Amino acid sequence: MSEAAAVRPARSDSAPRARDGYLHRLRAVWMFALALLLVAVLWELYKVVGPQDGGTVFGWKILPRANDQAMPHVWQMLARFGEPERAGFPGTILTTILSGAWFTFRLSFAGFVIGAAVGLGLAVLMARFRVVERGLLPYLVVSQTVPLIALAPLVVSWGGKLHLGAFEWPRWLSAAVLGAFLAFFPVAVGTLKGLTSAPPTAVELMDSYAASWRQTLFKLRFPAAVPYMVPAFRLAATASVVGVVVAELSTGLAGGIGRLIIEYAREATADPAKVYTAVFGAAALGLFMAGIVGVADVVLMRNRPREALE
Amino acid sequence: MTNAVDVRGVSKAFNRGRPDEVRALVDVDLAIEPGEFVSMIGPSGCGKSTALRLMANLLEPTSGDVHVNGKPARKARLDQDYGMAFQQAGLFDWRNVTKNVELPLELKGWDRSRRRERALEMLHLVKLDEFAEHMPWQLSGGMQQRVAIARALAAHPPLLLMDEPFGALDEMTREHMQAELLRICGETSTTVVFVTHSIPEAVYLSTRVVVMSPRPGRITDVIDVDLGPRRDVDTREDPAFFKKITEVREALRGMERASSSEAAGPPQPAGMEDR
Ligand SMILES: Nc1ncnc2c1ncn2[C@@H]1O[C@H](COP(=O)(O)OP(=O)(O)O)[C@@H](O)[C@H]1O
Ligand SMILES: [Mg+2]
Repeated sequence: MSEAAAVRPARSDSAPRARDGYLHRLRAVWMFALALLLVAVLWELYKVVGPQDGGTVFGWKILPRANDQAMPHVWQMLARFGEPERAGFPGTILTTILSGAWFTFRLSFAGFVIGAAVGLGLAVLMARFRVVERGLLPYLVVSQTVPLIALAPLVVSWGGKLHLGAFEWPRWLSAAVLGAFLAFFPVAVGTLKGLTSAPPTAVELMDSYAASWRQTLFKLRFPAAVPYMVPAFRLAATASVVGVVVAELSTGLAGGIGRLIIEYAREATADPAKVYTAVFGAAALGLFMAGIVGVADVVLMRNRPREALE
Repeated sequence: MTNAVDVRGVSKAFNRGRPDEVRALVDVDLAIEPGEFVSMIGPSGCGKSTALRLMANLLEPTSGDVHVNGKPARKARLDQDYGMAFQQAGLFDWRNVTKNVELPLELKGWDRSRRRERALEMLHLVKLDEFAEHMPWQLSGGMQQRVAIARALAAHPPLLLMDEPFGALDEMTREHMQAELLRICGETSTTVVFVTHSIPEAVYLSTRVVVMSPRPGRITDVIDVDLGPRRDVDTREDPAFFKKITEVREALRGMERASSSEAAGPPQPAGMEDR
């Protein structure tokens, strides 16, 4: 009886608990908006006090030029979204950015899925066989030090050349593969860490039930790994966007946001605000990808004790 | 009648042949009959957990053999002939109370409705009916440990192996849990092997107390406890209860004396004493 009284009344307790999580998230959104605003204010402040033609500190030319040519006003950038891409063109630049972002999103998502699948497979292999972990992990780390810019033309050159039976390697797949190349790494490392995070007594418990390795993997190791996998997948989601955009930039693949960044950058002298619309588009895309993982996080972690993870 | 547990001439060494070799158990013999409640007591590092893990076949002995339920320990493990509970309840955070209790049944391939029925039955046994849908982290330590006991007994194993299951509980909860454990094991006629640090706990629960000593780990005494089948709050104030406590304490102390006279012989390397 005294024991039952000691327990936290879970029914009435779970409601504020869920609300806490909700408020927590709401606050995060607020802080994010505030941070954006702060960056905008700092930008405008620099435009007021900064040197118009750049400046040198101890002989180093590091202070950027504060003129409207190099640093357009924040409101000019935002207003640019509503104007046509070029004078006389139908539609606003926003629609162009959106369609570019949609194109890049599809490639990034494909890259994310491929990368996540490869990363998960590697993590399971490494968790199963210590030998594989010792042999493979150093190479995975090294793989991430290869500059993507160097790799991009190579992978893109497969396009149209590679025939696997009836399957012809399409050009867009190269960009997705480069996204996957950046995405698989955090997934592999984070998932491996999560899979091996199950407490030894829990593993012993499964052994005492004569559970197979597979049963232990799905009933213990993967559920225990979720708190490690969520941030890893979030990283992978944004990394896949970076990979695809770099692939577009370095190979000139048309249709995506990367190509728009190049095109608009060329027009920077005549139309300085324009390139920023494409940069914002790329950033928003990364956030959107991370947001998708965030939704998965909320769903998967809804019944977990929050405090244990923070 | 086959013994519930049969440990014959068992030794266990860790890191064999290396400079850090540990002789965790040496020449251990122990036979436990069905229906017994046997406690193992002794100072830290005397091999209590090792002995329990050998019975559970989570470890293989270096020499000797272990039988459970008349079968080799490995076969008994594969047949889920025993349930296990540790100091940490070790409930899975992502499963509610019922699903935690269902875990061993799920691994055995029982179908959903049969699993659920058995789990609710077990929760009734440990008096947690109203908490079936709660998440583990919403329960107190004592309640979590009761869920762990329900999970260990869900498949109705004839044997329950427990490693300091109440070690993390406060004194009041602990005494309550001891009485509950006796009731549960009485109702299910389960044989129990129970590792503990606490002399009163060992005496209150057991039909036999096995006293162990370290370096190397071995059994030094086996003390029969006959306090009658019905143990309740009065048992703890019974002079016979205190007499047994004294007897176990002296057995533990006698072992201390023996090992200190050993130490008086050849000089011991520094730091050996508090290992
Ligand atoms: N996996 C292991 N590897 C090496 N030594 C171990 C291992 N498990 C236990 N030991 C050693 O064996 C001895 C007995 O340990 P244990 O059975 O856990 O003791 P107790 O449970 O009585 O405190 C200790 O000296 C301990 O350090
Ligand atoms: Mg121990």
